[in-house]
Amino acid sequence: MKEMIYQTICPGCGIGCGLYIRKNAEGKLSIDHMKSSPVNLGKLCRFGMKLPYYYAKENNAVNQVNASNADVETAIKTAVEILKDADSSSTALLSVGNTTNEEQMAFTKLAATLSTVVQTGVSSECLNMPEASLAEIEKAKRIVLFIDPYAQYPLIVRRLLTAKKNGASIVAVGTQPLNLADETLDLKPGQYDELKLDRESLIIADMHPNSDIKLAKNILVLAQKTGAKIQFMRSFMNSFGTGLSVNQENKMFGLAELVEDIELGNIRTLVVLDSDPIELMPDNEAAIEALKKLDKLIVISSRSSPVTELANIVIATEPVYSKAGTFLNAEGKLLKNSGTGKAGVDALSLLNAGIGGKAFTYDEMNYLVLKAIEAQKENRSVAAECAASDNGISSPKVLKGKYELKYLYNPFMWFDQKDDNDFVLLNRNTVRKLGLRKGGYVNMKSDRGELKMRFRVEALPDGLVLTAKKLPVATGTSTIISMERC
Amino acid sequence: MVEVGDKVIGYSTDPGVRNKGASGGLVTAILAAALEKGLVEEVVVLKHINEYEAIPIITSDVEDVLASAGSMHTVPVNLAKYAIGKNVAMPGKPCDIRGVIEQAKRNEVNIDNTYLIGLNCGGTMYPVQTREMLINMYDIDPEDVTGENIEKGNLIFRTKSGEEKGISIDELEEAGYGRRLSCRYCDVKIPVNADLACGNWGVIGELTGNATFCEVMNEKGVRLLENAIDAGYVEIEPASDKAITIREKVNNVMLSMGEKWSEKVFTEIPDGERTQYYMEQFADCINCGACKEICPVCTCGEDSKCTMYHNLEDNYRMSMFHMVRLMHLSDSCIGCGQCTDVCPVDIPLTTIFRRFADKSQKKYNYKAGMTLERPPFLEVMPR
Amino acid sequence: MTENKQWEPKIVAFCCNWCSYGGADTAGMGRFQQPASLRIIRVMCSGRIDPLHVFNAFLEGADAVLVTGCHLGDCHYVNGNYKTQVRYDFMEDMVKELGLEPERLHLSWISASEGEKFANFVREVTEQVRKLGPSPLKPEGVN
Repeated sequence: MKEMIYQTICPGCGIGCGLYIRKNAEGKLSIDHMKSSPVNLGKLCRFGMKLPYYYAKENNAVNQVNASNADVETAIKTAVEILKDADSSSTALLSVGNTTNEEQMAFTKLAATLSTVVQTGVSSECLNMPEASLAEIEKAKRIVLFIDPYAQYPLIVRRLLTAKKNGASIVAVGTQPLNLADETLDLKPGQYDELKLDRESLIIADMHPNSDIKLAKNILVLAQKTGAKIQFMRSFMNSFGTGLSVNQENKMFGLAELVEDIELGNIRTLVVLDSDPIELMPDNEAAIEALKKLDKLIVISSRSSPVTELANIVIATEPVYSKAGTFLNAEGKLLKNSGTGKAGVDALSLLNAGIGGKAFTYDEMNYLVLKAIEAQKENRSVAAECAASDNGISSPKVLKGKYELKYLYNPFMWFDQKDDNDFVLLNRNTVRKLGLRKGGYVNMKSDRGELKMRFRVEALPDGLVLTAKKLPVATGTSTIISMERC
Repeated sequence: MVEVGDKVIGYSTDPGVRNKGASGGLVTAILAAALEKGLVEEVVVLKHINEYEAIPIITSDVEDVLASAGSMHTVPVNLAKYAIGKNVAMPGKPCDIRGVIEQAKRNEVNIDNTYLIGLNCGGTMYPVQTREMLINMYDIDPEDVTGENIEKGNLIFRTKSGEEKGISIDELEEAGYGRRLSCRYCDVKIPVNADLACGNWGVIGELTGNATFCEVMNEKGVRLLENAIDAGYVEIEPASDKAITIREKVNNVMLSMGEKWSEKVFTEIPDGERTQYYMEQFADCINCGACKEICPVCTCGEDSKCTMYHNLEDNYRMSMFHMVRLMHLSDSCIGCGQCTDVCPVDIPLTTIFRRFADKSQKKYNYKAGMTLERPPFLEVMPR
Repeated sequence: MTENKQWEPKIVAFCCNWCSYGGADTAGMGRFQQPASLRIIRVMCSGRIDPLHVFNAFLEGADAVLVTGCHLGDCHYVNGNYKTQVRYDFMEDMVKELGLEPERLHLSWISASEGEKFANFVREVTEQVRKLGPSPLKPEGVN
C-alpha cells in the first residue's frame, strides 16, 4: 500500500490546529506540520506532537455486543432493538464534541426520532458561540486569564506573548504564577472590580463539562458590566460544532447533572457519541458506579476508552483523522478533513432508519451543517443574559496540617494519555515542612487511600497541591489530603 | 559527454513539462528520467495542494513528479528527513541538501544512492503571512494567484487574469513581510553541496524563463544528467561566459544582502546579560519537543540525550533539553529555520542556535552540511 | 544561612579514576589544605564526561565545574582524554556564549602524583569563584 496522507485538525482541544497525519505502507503513523493553517501556522503543542500514540491502532474502537467482538451489522441491529424498546423520557444522548459536525448532525436526527435531544455536557444556561478570531487577542490592551494557557491551551500562548509585546498587561486569576503574566491575583468573584477592566480588555476563560457554572456566570457578568470582550476556550475539537444543531429552547444539562440523573435511575438508556463520561468526570470510580446502574449503554466511538469496557454495544467508527467531515473551532472557523470515512454517519443513519426514522447520507448531513452555519452567521446569538448568582464560590476549608489537592483541568489529559506529567506541584514551604528530598516522593493520603508521587516546587500558596492528572486519591476537582515524606 | 565541473543550460524536451515546470522543466525531467530509467526507486517531491501549500511525498509514480513542477517559495519545509533509509532522488534548497549531508554523516542516509538536485534559493516565505501580504501590499486576492517568482530582487505574483505585480523584497521586508528570518541571513544560495546545482540565475537572452542553469558538482551529478540526456528527456548546451558571470553576480548580491541581515540580527548581547537573555527566551517553553522532532540534522530518534535527561519535574533555570540541544547542534546546525517555524510559543530558536553554532563553526572553519569529507567534529580527535 | 556568614562556592570536580582522582587523594595524604567547597565525582575516564554532566552540575547549583584527567598521552584507555579535549573546547565556547564567566569551567590534566598541583588548582578556582559570586544558573532555594 502507498503512503496515505490525511489533512485534519488536532483532536486535543477546541482551537483546531491544522496538521497532517501520515500513514506509511506498514501502517505506522506520524504527524507532519501544516504551515499554511491559519489557525496554528503548523505549530503544535505537546499533545499534537504525540498524536501518533493517541491514534495508535490499539486505541481504535472495535464493534462489540455484550463485551465480545461482533460485526458492525450485528452491533447496529442489536442497538436498534434496544432503542426500539427504550422509553424516550428515560433515554439520554450525549456528545461533547469529539467528532465531526456531520456525525453530530446525524446524532441530532437520531435524537429527534427518539423524541429527545442531544446533550453536550454543558448547561444551556451559559451557552455561547465563538466571538472573535484568536488573532484579536494580540490587539487587546488588558488581558485577564482565567485559564493556564501553558497547560490548557498552549497554542494561545504565542498570541498572548504578541499582545504583551504590543503593550498589553496580562493578569492571571488563580493560584499559579504564569511566566507571561504581569501579575497573578487569587481573587474571589466579589473582588473582580480589582481587575480594572474596560472596553479594550479581553477576558479569556474556558467552558467544559466540569466548569464551575457559577464562576462562568460571574465572568459573563463581569464582561457585561465592564464592556470587556470575552473569549471562551473549549476543550473538545468540535465543542462549538455541537452548538450548531442545538435548539435554543432545549434544556441542556451539565455532565454532572446527567450523571446524577443516571445514578438516581431517571435515565435508564444512554447513547454516547465519542464521549466518555468516565474520562470526563473528575472521579473515575464514581462515574463507573453510576454507569453500571444503566439498563443499556450504547457507545458509538472511534476510540476505545474506559466506557467501551462497560458498554452493551460498541459501534466503532474510523479514527477522527480519516473521517470525512467538518469542524467548527474556537474562533468560528469551519475546518475540513481530507479523509473519506463515513462509517459514523452511515451507522447513525441505519440506527435512525431502524427505529422508524429516515435514512440519510453524509452529503445530506453536510448540507444541513453548512446551512446551520449560514443561519448562525445571519442570526448571531448574543451571549445569554446571565444574572450573577449571589452565593459565592465556596472553596473547601482546609484544616491545619491538611492540604487541598486541586486538579488543574488540562483538556489533553481527559484522554488519559500517557505523559511524563507524573508529579504534583507544591511550594517550597511544604517541601521544607515535610522534609521532602529532591528527586524523592511525597506520600498523599485521602479517604480513597494512599499514593506516592514525585513533586515539583512551584510558587504556590501554602496548603495547595496541584495536579494536571486525575489521581486515584482524588474524589473530585478538589480533595482534602494529608501528606508526608516517604 | 558531461563532466564534473560542467556548467550548462538545459531544458526539458517535452513541451508540456517545459512550459509547466519552472524555468524549462529541467529538474522535473531529470527526476522523471531517474525514476523511469531505474537510477532510483523513488523520488521525494512536493505534492501541490494549493498556491500556498504542498506536502512532501515519496513516490515512484512519474505522474506525481510531473504534477509537482513549479516553484514553491511559500512552502518552507525541509526535505532531508524524507530521504532517510531510501534510495531516492530529490530536489532541494541548499538547506535541504545540507540536512541530507548531515544525516549521511551520521549514517542515516546512504549518500551513494541518494541523488541530490540542488535548487538556487533566495529564501522562502510563510504561507499565512504571504496571504496577508497579498491583501495588504499587493492588493491581490490570495485565491487569484496562479504563480510567483523572484526576479532581480522583486517578488512577483501572477494572477488568473494574467497580470503580474512585483514589489521589491527590501520593501516587503521593511513592512514585516517577505522571507523567513533564517532565509534573510542564510549564507548558501547556490547549492554547491548537491550533485547538480540548478537555478534560473544566469539564464539569459531568449531562453530567459525557459531554461535552467545547471552546474555539475560531482560524479553522481554526471550520472543524473547523462541518464536524463540518454533517455531523451533533456537537452543541454554549454553556458556562455556571460551567463556564468551573471550567475556569480546574482549570487554575490544575494550573499551580501545576507551578510547585512546577519549583522542586523546577530547584535552582540553584552557579557553580563546573556545568561538572563537565554533564560528568558526559554522560559515560555511548553516542552512539546517539536523543535527536536522537526530538526533535519537530528538523528537520535526518540530516546536521545536531550529528552532522556530532561524531566518536567525539574525546575532548573534552563531546561536540560535545551542545554543538551544547544551543545549538540553547535557543530551541526544548518540554520534552516524549521525549529522557529514550529515552535508553538514563538521562541526564536534558530537565531539562538545560530548564536551558539556560529561561534564554534567559525572557530574551526567548519560549515555544517556542506561536504561529507569532514565528519561531525564534536566526535572526532583534534588534528 | 545567615547573612553575615561568608558564602562558600560549590565546586564540582570530575576526576578520572587513574590520574586526577589519585591526585586528589595525594593532595589529601600530603595534607595540603583544601577548601570545603569541593565535591569530587569519580569517573573511570575523563572521556566519560559528557557535556550534559557538566551542564547538569551547573543547573543543580554548582558555581564552578572542573574537568580533570590524565595528561595527554597518559590515558589509561589510550585516547580518552583527547576526546575530553574536543568536547571541552565546545563546552568552553558554549559556556561563554551562555554568558557564564569563563572562570566557572576549567580543564586540567593532573597525574596521581601531583597532589600539590590539584590542591593549588582547586584553591585558585575557589578564590576566583568567590569573587564572582553565585552562578546565575543556580536554582532558587539552593545555597
